[in-house]
Amino acid sequence: MNGSNLKKRSLRTAVLATFVATVFAALVYSRIMAYSLAPTMRPADFHGLPLWYIPLAYIWDYLSHGWICLLFAFVAAGIIYEFIPKDIINRYMSSGKASGYALGVGVAPLFTVCSCTMIPLFSGILYAGAGIGPAISFLLMAPAANILTILLTGEIISWQIAAVRIFASLTTALVAGIVISRTPWGKEIENEHKSNNPGKTMTVDVVKLPLDERLINSLRFAWYLGRQILPFFLLGLMIVGYVEAFLPEEIVESYLTGLQGILLASVIGGPLYTPTLVEIVLGRGLLNLGMSQAALLSWLMGQPYDIPNMMAGSKIVKWKVVLSYAMIAWMFSVIFGLTYGLAIGAL
Amino acid sequence: MDKKVVLEVIGVDPPCKRCATTHKNTEEAASRLRKDGVDVSVQKLNITSKEVVSKYGVILSPALAVNGQVRIAGRIPSPDEIVRIVKQSGLG
Repeated sequence: MNGSNLKKRSLRTAVLATFVATVFAALVYSRIMAYSLAPTMRPADFHGLPLWYIPLAYIWDYLSHGWICLLFAFVAAGIIYEFIPKDIINRYMSSGKASGYALGVGVAPLFTVCSCTMIPLFSGILYAGAGIGPAISFLLMAPAANILTILLTGEIISWQIAAVRIFASLTTALVAGIVISRTPWGKEIENEHKSNNPGKTMTVDVVKLPLDERLINSLRFAWYLGRQILPFFLLGLMIVGYVEAFLPEEIVESYLTGLQGILLASVIGGPLYTPTLVEIVLGRGLLNLGMSQAALLSWLMGQPYDIPNMMAGSKIVKWKVVLSYAMIAWMFSVIFGLTYGLAIGAL
Repeated sequence: MDKKVVLEVIGVDPPCKRCATTHKNTEEAASRLRKDGVDVSVQKLNITSKEVVSKYGVILSPALAVNGQVRIAGRIPSPDEIVRIVKQSGLG
């Protein structure tokens, strides 16, 4: 490599690194100065606004507060995805049950900010011989604990809920994985793929890139994620704007609180298809209208067993397996909702 | 040039956008290599198939393998980079 090329590279690296550092610093600064990144409008603020203006007001309220958080979330997701060593899964996935579970719930969700890597990883874990348990744990953990979801749950709702959500999802994912790997139909699938242990890591020799190209790749991926997710997110915001404006608080308060609220939230939170991240804004909207925190947790935990997730899973494993993990996940969302409600004394 | 180069694009089926871009870039790299007289063929593999997992293990999509070795995983390579990888492997 010649001198001027090297100089160009270092300059590019410096510019990109500065941009990333600025985004990170903006979030830290907003924390220190205690700006609220969450929206500030209350349902009452919407009453009396013209119909066409409601979604605009809502989106403006969201973006004027939340843009730092959204920008940070996407940039962080891009950076993590690019810089996490990708051969880690290949190397450790087939080396035993315990490490399979650990990877399934711990590392793998970092990769899955994009739903199009989720099913390949699910089938990969299964076919590589790590077993049905780690594969199921991964599938249930990924939508609940990827970097975008965690950041936005924390910023938009509360960090307490975000922490509880991670813990609850982790427990659910592990229990569902272990239980299903003991069922007859789970064992059947596992035996089917047992002989298929590859261990041919020799065939993977990934090319290393210089730092500036890796930074560009991260931002490019962040941009790609933004384009995939933000249109649905904005559409979701518009709908939530109307929900907040027109859904009477009495209805939410009487149906989405108490035991009945948890049951109802866990049922509609699941099958109801909410694109990535919209469940968080919609949850926040319902919370503003009077949904209990306990019901909100059950609502958020419904994400892993929504219909698209189940459809995708059923292409790889039998419906019986899909229905079993959905049942377990649903039961746990109710149990955790109840426990959380009792613990904070606001059922 | 008597060496044969097989480029395998490994992605989900139906292709997601990133896998489709990788496929397009690979085709472009292949046509450039062909102009230089390299015998290149491009194949599309499904990452959720058992054959791919038993051959390459668990990898991230989109991925690109050159003559049976995964060189790119979890990102989109540019046509330039693919040409470079093939040439550096002593195949072009």
